[in-house]
Amino acid sequence: MSEGSILDNADRRDFLGKATTAIGAAGAAAACWPFISSMNPSLDTLEKASTEVDLSGIAVGQAQTVSWGGKPVFVVHRTPEQIAAMKNSQGGKDPQADADRAKHPEWLVVVGVCTHMGCIPSRTEEGWLCPCHGSVYDNSGRILHGPAPKNLPVPPVKFVSADKIIIGEA
Amino acid sequence: MKRLFVFALCWLMFGAWAETETPLKNIEVGTDLPTLERGAETVMTVCTGCHTLKYIRFRELAKLGIAKDKVDAWRGSNPMGATIASQMPADAALAAFGRAPPDLSLIVKAREGEANYIYSYLLGYYTAPDGTTGNHYYSVTRMPDVLSVAGVTDPAQLAQLNQKARDVASFLSWAADPHAQERKSLGYYVIGYLLIFTTMLYFLKGRIWARLDKA
Amino acid sequence: MANSIIDWIDQRFPLTHIVKHELTDYPTPRNLSYWWNFGFLAGFVLVLQLVTGIFLAMYYKPDVSMAFDSVQHIMRDINYGWLLRYIHSTGASAFFVVIYIHMARTLYYASYHKPRELMWWTGQALMLMIMATAFMGYLLPWGQMSYWGAQVITNLFGVTPYIGDSIVLWLRGDFSVGDATLTRFFALHYLFPFLIFAVVGIHLVALHTVKSSNPSGISLADKDNIPFHPYFTIKDLFGLGVYLIVFCTFVFFIPGSFIEAANNIPANPLMTPPHIEPEWYFLPFYAILRSIPDMLGGVVAMGLSVVIFAILPFADRSNIPGGARYRPVYRAMFYLFIIDILVLGYVGSKPPSGVLVPIGQVATLIYFATFFLLPFISKWEERWMRARGLSPELIALLEPRPQHDNMTQKGEAA
Repeated sequence: MSEGSILDNADRRDFLGKATTAIGAAGAAAACWPFISSMNPSLDTLEKASTEVDLSGIAVGQAQTVSWGGKPVFVVHRTPEQIAAMKNSQGGKDPQADADRAKHPEWLVVVGVCTHMGCIPSRTEEGWLCPCHGSVYDNSGRILHGPAPKNLPVPPVKFVSADKIIIGEA
Repeated sequence: MKRLFVFALCWLMFGAWAETETPLKNIEVGTDLPTLERGAETVMTVCTGCHTLKYIRFRELAKLGIAKDKVDAWRGSNPMGATIASQMPADAALAAFGRAPPDLSLIVKAREGEANYIYSYLLGYYTAPDGTTGNHYYSVTRMPDVLSVAGVTDPAQLAQLNQKARDVASFLSWAADPHAQERKSLGYYVIGYLLIFTTMLYFLKGRIWARLDKA
Repeated sequence: MANSIIDWIDQRFPLTHIVKHELTDYPTPRNLSYWWNFGFLAGFVLVLQLVTGIFLAMYYKPDVSMAFDSVQHIMRDINYGWLLRYIHSTGASAFFVVIYIHMARTLYYASYHKPRELMWWTGQALMLMIMATAFMGYLLPWGQMSYWGAQVITNLFGVTPYIGDSIVLWLRGDFSVGDATLTRFFALHYLFPFLIFAVVGIHLVALHTVKSSNPSGISLADKDNIPFHPYFTIKDLFGLGVYLIVFCTFVFFIPGSFIEAANNIPANPLMTPPHIEPEWYFLPFYAILRSIPDMLGGVVAMGLSVVIFAILPFADRSNIPGGARYRPVYRAMFYLFIIDILVLGYVGSKPPSGVLVPIGQVATLIYFATFFLLPFISKWEERWMRARGLSPELIALLEPRPQHDNMTQKGEAA
């Protein structure tokens, strides 16, 4: 190898070193991705993101609790009186119109987890009462009084047909 | 001495591969959707009469690209997330055949010869002189000749049966290893990257070690 | 900024000193060949097995009713679960390829001689721990081969006189391999790699005390040592690249190579598979086990065949350095031993019938004869070599040198 040949060029040597390091670092970073990705929910777990509910079994005035992504969801078949009462009020400390919460007024679908500390409220005439610290929700799932700060969350709901909904899809 | 060693090494390695059973018929497993769809059709309408596929869900058949109405027809009232059950309950099958029909999710991997074995086995039925049916590849099988292969001589019919068996073997290959395609394509990228990177390392190593000669 | 952080640390912990002394400036013989890459590769495979193992453990269920299903869940549902599993299963075999070659290098160059006996023995300890880890890991998928392999091998401990049956019961935690066995094998399989890590540390401390052997067989002069970085960091990285190409070819294109067909069937305690055989890396020892008709004799022979390597620093009494490089008889013994192991491996993979039985027995005899005859052959060989006259190269190597030789006692003047 003679002096002054391309291979002795310090700049070229440096470029190879830098380029190799860069490509190596990129490869090492890419190699980390499968490990990180494996910790994300698996294919079957992701399926829990949407739950099909058959509404035909829920009579007027009845409520059913279903599981959605590991959480309880209240599906209420509201009576006309309840719908009228909810239309006429805005709720309590977290005002919200009933129409924004129940697109199809006779069906109310809310996540049954109290927005205070996470207990599951019990069904009452007026809506729900959380046994843990006494939060009271109306028949639109809105907080009326008690320590809970927000209304019961409304999940995305898709009406596939008159008696079938998918919770988790808009 | 070294040559003798290398020769002995090679001889031993190839000697280990010598087999003396009924030779399998070899096929090229199909990975295209039409093949898998036809195979699924046969498996879902014929095989699930007795066999389960407990690691395959209907949802996965739909994701494969099979038409939704076909999948719905196969699953009936079962949800999409249900695994594929058999029509005959396990204890009834055990009573009828004397042995439980094995689950088919991994059957291709669980047999020496893999897809070639499944293909050969399905086509391996014959009628013995005494009228009973046997199988060239598994003499003690309790499984009936589901494709009605034994005794068929008409070449057109044989061709049809061959294709059916190949479709089933291909579908079951997919069922045993649903990520095979993804794995291979990722493999091409990984090996490609490594070839480039290792070549760069080779030249970098030469460059660095050349400093020694000057020292 | 980085420099001041390092300075802060250096005042409290010898970081720069350790990195310089043990890594970057560490003196390494310049004539190391690629056979010296395999130690680093073993370390890499250990880390990869550890990492993939931990991520697999996030989903694996060590319960007889869930184990097989959990592996299928990993293979089918978990993102890249198939990749984690195949890296882990291929990595187990790769680990043995690497350490067997690493050992073969040591055998060829007789590097186990003074002052590297402790390196050899810590290496032996590592091999035993890796074998135990692999054996326990193989039960975890709870396939037919997993179950029956564990059943057969745990049964072997029953040959111990008087307390054999109690030992087997204690080992399994049940009358036959069952849930108790599976759970404890999982716990220990998870633990052992960390113990291996610790022993690797001891192995490396020993290495840094006596420094690497090299193909010439004797310690080189100081001027013939070069700093580990960048010469051997780049060489190890290049070797890693070549290794990864082979490894990834298996992982991505033929991953089932190391998974027995029978292991795709859930364990059935009421039905044995047609052939029970261990993974390839245990086959030679399995052949030795079966070659002795008496069960106790077979178990003793198998155990002995694994640990007998430990006697080599004493059994090889030759003072000619460099092992097979300069010693023709030793070289012949080395190649014969390798072929013998391959024959044993083949015999172990087949049912013990016909001509394979006497072949296995002869191969077992040769295996042990290699070790038991070495003390005599090595001494005779040296006498024979000196009688006919050593080559000038060898004479030059054996000449006592005035420079500091790290084979001399501590404290002697340089």
